[in-house]
Amino acid sequence: MSIRRILFWLVLAGFTVVTLFPFYWMVMTAIMPTDAILARSPSLLPDLSRASFAPFVEIFVDKPFLIWMRNSLIVNLICTTLSLLVAALAGYSLSRFTNRPQQALGASLLVSKLVPSSLILIPLFIIYSNIGLFNTYAGLVLANMTIGVPLATWLMKGFFDRIPRELEQAAMIDGATQLQALRQIVLPLARPGLAASTVYLVLTNWSEFIFARTLVDTPSRQVLTVGMQSFVGEQMVDWQLLMAAGTVSVLPAVILFIFLEPFLVSGMTKGALAGT
Amino acid sequence: MTRSSTLSAGADAPPLVDLDFHKRQKALSFALLLPAAFAVLTLILYPLIRVVEISFRDGRMMNFARISELPLGLGNYARVLGDANFWNACATSALYVTGSVGVGFLIGLATALLLNEKLPGTRFLRTLILLPWAVPGVIVAIMFLWLLDSSFGVFNAMLRDVGLLTGDFPWFVDSRSALISVVLATVWKTYPLITLTILAALQSVPRDLYEAAMIDGANRWNSFFDITWPGIKGPAYLVIMISALGVFRDIDIVFATTNGGPARATETLALYVYKEAFHYFRMGAATAVGTLMVGVAFFIAFLFAGLANRARY
Repeated sequence: MSIRRILFWLVLAGFTVVTLFPFYWMVMTAIMPTDAILARSPSLLPDLSRASFAPFVEIFVDKPFLIWMRNSLIVNLICTTLSLLVAALAGYSLSRFTNRPQQALGASLLVSKLVPSSLILIPLFIIYSNIGLFNTYAGLVLANMTIGVPLATWLMKGFFDRIPRELEQAAMIDGATQLQALRQIVLPLARPGLAASTVYLVLTNWSEFIFARTLVDTPSRQVLTVGMQSFVGEQMVDWQLLMAAGTVSVLPAVILFIFLEPFLVSGMTKGALAGT
Repeated sequence: MTRSSTLSAGADAPPLVDLDFHKRQKALSFALLLPAAFAVLTLILYPLIRVVEISFRDGRMMNFARISELPLGLGNYARVLGDANFWNACATSALYVTGSVGVGFLIGLATALLLNEKLPGTRFLRTLILLPWAVPGVIVAIMFLWLLDSSFGVFNAMLRDVGLLTGDFPWFVDSRSALISVVLATVWKTYPLITLTILAALQSVPRDLYEAAMIDGANRWNSFFDITWPGIKGPAYLVIMISALGVFRDIDIVFATTNGGPARATETLALYVYKEAFHYFRMGAATAVGTLMVGVAFFIAFLFAGLANRARY
């Protein structure tokens, strides 16, 4: 390895350390005794033999953390499933047919990326108050779909575009209907696309905050991000507890990301970048 | 309505081919699209139309069900354009977006170039470098509130250790540093997508071009500007646009760190819209600003889509 390559590697590794530091410090704050962290100049490499995992138990006792997690999971699961279904069908349609309505839909999906969440909230808030969707999971699921469906559709279209039409045509000559061809030939081939879209949707729904904060106000229906934010407003922030809660909140997303990152990367690169 | 009329128009298709097959194809293409069309119409287009409508309703109505009974007029736009806080939010948004995307782009480009060097372990480093992308904005906010905490934040501790700081410094509360701090948190969440996009674009630049350039005596700068940049600039413009729109639109990080403070130093347009609507219940003013924002977003999208398009040729 030349000196230049060693230098490059050091820069990259150094950057990785810096970018991972917020994660590291969050975990350290959670597991180390407060005197090791809440100090004027805390050691960056605290004595791990003093680590304790008690705060991770405490967050479930002191805060309705389990309820927040449950609500996030319910909303996420329903929303991801629905969005994926809608996006896969629409993506296929956009990929295989190019009628005027198709193009209009494709364009309006992109328009949605231009609209601030805090803006679309206003009519949703008014409509929800009128038709009784305020404070419901259903309302939240529908609102979250406005974020997830557009990109997932373009992502799926990108994947379908790469599957040759000839495969379906051959199946249709053999007597299959287009729907059968879609289910038996195209969808199995589009599995990496479905995986990429799923990762994207799960992460997006897990992150969503402002809809949940505004369209739901019953404490027992609050989702994780809203619950986490409520910590910050307190007079005395208990950093250790907050960081323990933060660690548990990002853990599912981080694990999912690490295992499925290759799919996401291929999805973003092969799929429609325009939709991101 | 349009759907059925287009369907019957399909009957006029040239009868040279199997007419029934084509009809069925067309019906299927609509059926597949129906769920998405329904979602887009009810959840995006209809609400957007309401946004524009409400922005032209003069006066205030606390009963939102009857907001459409207010008279039409330009009062909200006049009110907003005369509001110093609106112009402050415009300036803040401009700084916030250019700061976050500018720094994010430099980091994204640098990391992508380094990851593309095929150094040992880069496959693993790539996952780690992209990791911040998976963290919810609210959690990003909380992480940085803690890192930059005035008394016990580890950043201030480091500054004290090297003698740059004595005592405390409240990064998110001081009006001189609040916006910079918010930008820092936003950069951390924003750069991974840029890294990812540029890395993908780099992999499509033909390797032999570099070899040819080396033979011709080109140095690294030459080959970057003559080979690499032309090869990646389309995707680069695109990801700049997407990131800029994202930062322009989102309020999670600003909301959870400073909520626009101190004294509106970090109040972006998106946050201004939220506060007008849900703190002061001035739906008219909020939607007027929102309508203007969508206009600006359209302009940004148009500009960069044009640049990206031109870069292809």
